[in-house]
Amino acid sequence: MKLIRNFSIIAHVDHGKSTLADRFIQSCGGLDAREMENQVLDSMDLERERGITIKAQSVMLKYKAKDGQIYQLNMIDTPGHVDFSYEVSRSLAACDGALLVVDAAQGVEAQSVANCYTALDQGLEVVPVINKIDLPSAEPARVIKEIEEIIGIDAEDAVLVSAKTGLGVPELLEEIVRRIPAPKGDPDAPLQALIIDSWFDSYVGVVSLVRVMNGSLKVGEKIRVWSSGRNYQVDKLGRFTPKSLACSELATGEVGFVIAGIKEIDGAPVGDTITLESRQCSAALEGFKQIQPRVFAGLFTVNSDDYEAFRDALAKLKLNDSALQYQPEVSAALGFGFRCGFLGLLHMDIVQERLEREYNLDLITSAPTVVYEILLTDGTTIYVDNPAKLPASNVTAELREPIIIANILVPPEYVGAVLKLCNDKRGRQKKMLYLGNQVSLQYELPMADVVLDFFDRLKSVSRGYASFDYEFSHFEAAPMVKLDILINADKVDALSIIVHRDMAYQRGRELVDKMRELIPRQMFEVAVQAAIGVNVVARANVKALRKNVLAKCYGGDLSRKRKLLEKQKEGKKRMKQVGSVEIPQEAFLAVLQIGREK
Amino acid sequence: MLSTPPLALYAHFPWCVQKCPYCDFNSHKAPEQIQEQRYIDALLEDLALDVPDHVNRPLVSIFMGGGTPSLFSPDSIARLLEEIKARLPVSPDLEVTLEANPGTIEHGKFAAYRAAGVNRVSLGAQSFDTEQLTKLGRIHGSADIALAVEEIRSAGIENFNLDLMYGLSGQTREAALADLRQAIALAPTHISHYQLTLEPGTPFFHRPPELPDDDHCYAMQVECQALLADAGYQQYEVSAYAQAGRQSVHNRNYWQFGDYLGLGAGAHGKLTHNGQILRTERQKQPRQYLGSPVAGRLVLHQAVAPEELPFEFMLNALRLRSGFAPELFESRTGLCWSSIQPQLTQARARGLLEIDRGRVFPTELGRRFLNDLIALFLGG
Repeated sequence: MKLIRNFSIIAHVDHGKSTLADRFIQSCGGLDAREMENQVLDSMDLERERGITIKAQSVMLKYKAKDGQIYQLNMIDTPGHVDFSYEVSRSLAACDGALLVVDAAQGVEAQSVANCYTALDQGLEVVPVINKIDLPSAEPARVIKEIEEIIGIDAEDAVLVSAKTGLGVPELLEEIVRRIPAPKGDPDAPLQALIIDSWFDSYVGVVSLVRVMNGSLKVGEKIRVWSSGRNYQVDKLGRFTPKSLACSELATGEVGFVIAGIKEIDGAPVGDTITLESRQCSAALEGFKQIQPRVFAGLFTVNSDDYEAFRDALAKLKLNDSALQYQPEVSAALGFGFRCGFLGLLHMDIVQERLEREYNLDLITSAPTVVYEILLTDGTTIYVDNPAKLPASNVTAELREPIIIANILVPPEYVGAVLKLCNDKRGRQKKMLYLGNQVSLQYELPMADVVLDFFDRLKSVSRGYASFDYEFSHFEAAPMVKLDILINADKVDALSIIVHRDMAYQRGRELVDKMRELIPRQMFEVAVQAAIGVNVVARANVKALRKNVLAKCYGGDLSRKRKLLEKQKEGKKRMKQVGSVEIPQEAFLAVLQIGREK
Repeated sequence: MLSTPPLALYAHFPWCVQKCPYCDFNSHKAPEQIQEQRYIDALLEDLALDVPDHVNRPLVSIFMGGGTPSLFSPDSIARLLEEIKARLPVSPDLEVTLEANPGTIEHGKFAAYRAAGVNRVSLGAQSFDTEQLTKLGRIHGSADIALAVEEIRSAGIENFNLDLMYGLSGQTREAALADLRQAIALAPTHISHYQLTLEPGTPFFHRPPELPDDDHCYAMQVECQALLADAGYQQYEVSAYAQAGRQSVHNRNYWQFGDYLGLGAGAHGKLTHNGQILRTERQKQPRQYLGSPVAGRLVLHQAVAPEELPFEFMLNALRLRSGFAPELFESRTGLCWSSIQPQLTQARARGLLEIDRGRVFPTELGRRFLNDLIALFLGG
């Protein structure tokens, strides 16, 4: 156990975490050059395409240190996007230390600050690492000062590296061994293993990544999943190096995977405790606090026959994405589906893409919304995550919107633009501090405005230099109204949004114009209206298409004509038939594309 | 149920003086010297290969298309027609059409074609506007069209078609109508009036000219249709207009899902034989085609799967304004009318199709959205 080091890498997107991880794997001989595909850890297709890490992954490395001992380094990857702070805390719970990787040119970013605090809260040893020191624009001294000023930890002995060239990586490995403590735990105590992650494999059932806190786990033993009380026999244990490598035992302090013939999708929930049937531990591990989704949207299959497959896919996805919540929803326009709760818009995007790609579904997402707190006239308080379910105004005493606290770090030259953005979003400034080369801002902002497009706009007004992190603060009364969208005079519930009264007309206009762009011309004219109650506030028409005919057909190559018509038909399959109108997927998310430029 | 339909013959001539940038037919720039003899021999070899399965079926039509068949000498055409007639019986009112380019007509040539047995000409006029003709890459001017028509008439060929396009780059409604008026003034028996389409694989597709938008093209279509109707040309298909009794026998046969032999480079055939519907296709590149033994030229000789037949039938038959009788569907596909009830019901519910007094035909909406109508019959 003395020779084990469990650690995570905390880094902002693009600060070089995956490159550093790859470098570790290479240095420790985890993969030969042929197997070394760039950025091994980001294994999901989506992660590679977006260049971000979504799910925790782990790799065990054998490292021979200068003291002559061979150490087992378990590196547990953490996501680097603001939406996924919950995943970070999960990964950190399995670690005893963390590397805080900061770009030597860009300096500290807000999410790293937040994640670093999570690590410190969990009692982890944080080792500051300054990366990309090979860049001409690198300013390690300034960045060290920033870490000390902004995060408030001692960074004097930060390790300077270039993950790209390998410079400083040997020294960093030594520092990991020297500074990160070995795991604690009692090898003789009853087994207590924390489930860090679980996923469903169609051949072997549930695979769980665990950290053994106390005791040990051997192949053939009967385990008990604490929350369900169900028992399973361990078929296989192993570690990722990053290739999966079977082993016969996982000892105290170790990280590895367990396969125990669990066929129920929810058989081994993330954060749960595994113990032995024959010798049970006395209590469950603390696990993770249940995260509250912030953004809600209805998801519906384009093809109603896919409903069962969709339900099954959601259950499988939920297994290793505990932040995802869902419950059945019926929409008058879109039929049967699920109202899903997400951490943020990126999370929503990723869930939808995973469902579509990994489970081959075509989905329509309704306009996303945040949760509103509503005080009814009878004194009860309810929470509404669906504009269609907003109670009538005569039974509503007060409607309250969620407010967040945003922490923003931005170079001084962009402060003006960021302040303006925050004010446009109805923000209230709480703090403004000049720290080294960055300004730290704290704002209260309505969550609805933040989750919809704040992040993108913040990036654009600061040319990518501003970073931010947010947390829910409280609910606050606000004059919000429901804006409905009518297509050919029929209200489409999935398109309704809740907006601030002062913005309603403008939003309605923008939304209707956007819808006109996004709905293709069809056989009949399509009227799009925005309305508050019975008052139509904006209207636009999608002109009727005149014709759709092949000019020529003379017994020649029919296959080309067939393909053309099949393509047309395929395009329509991606659209949802609402009444007699075909509405493309993007039109349901038109709300995300408005209010950006004035 | 499946009965043997009328048989037509299509012979393809794959060369043109130059390739037009909008054209997606199998046409190639002609070599210095076209090997006419050798090519006609090849067509006859194709015929000899196909005929044994179809002896005793009288031909209703022979169509020589291209490319530019009028690049071939009347002697070559005469030899081809003679040999065809020697191998297959022909119906008494056999239609023999030759496609011609107004830019390839020397004085006296049509008389010789007439003597060879050609009784109908399809002339690729496309436009009467010199600037448009240049933009379309045509080798002829508007005066050449009138000259060609004069040649056709004086050769004693009364039955001729003019191909005309609309929706051309920068074309106004007035310009489209002016083109059409000039065509009508030449009194053809038939006018094929097409909207220019950007076809994949053509220079126009890759570097599209700026074309009038859909609304303008539709307005042109409506006004041109009215003009054609006033002049006595009745529309019987999406792009085909004819004087009374002058509908194209050959094209009608396609649209009624009749059979046709397809001879020559890249030619397609459709043949009913032994209770199956076969599609044939021959090698496309003239050089490869000529270089291969006759059996090797046949790159496709395959039965159409029954589930594909409804689509293939409708793709053709619903182009006809007057539609078809359910019996025709049954006899040409061998399928039961009831097997396509769900699609028919849907098409009617959407206002695209009507069934009245034993005829099935597209509604006005169905004619405008024919692709949507036909797509209902796509399998899967």
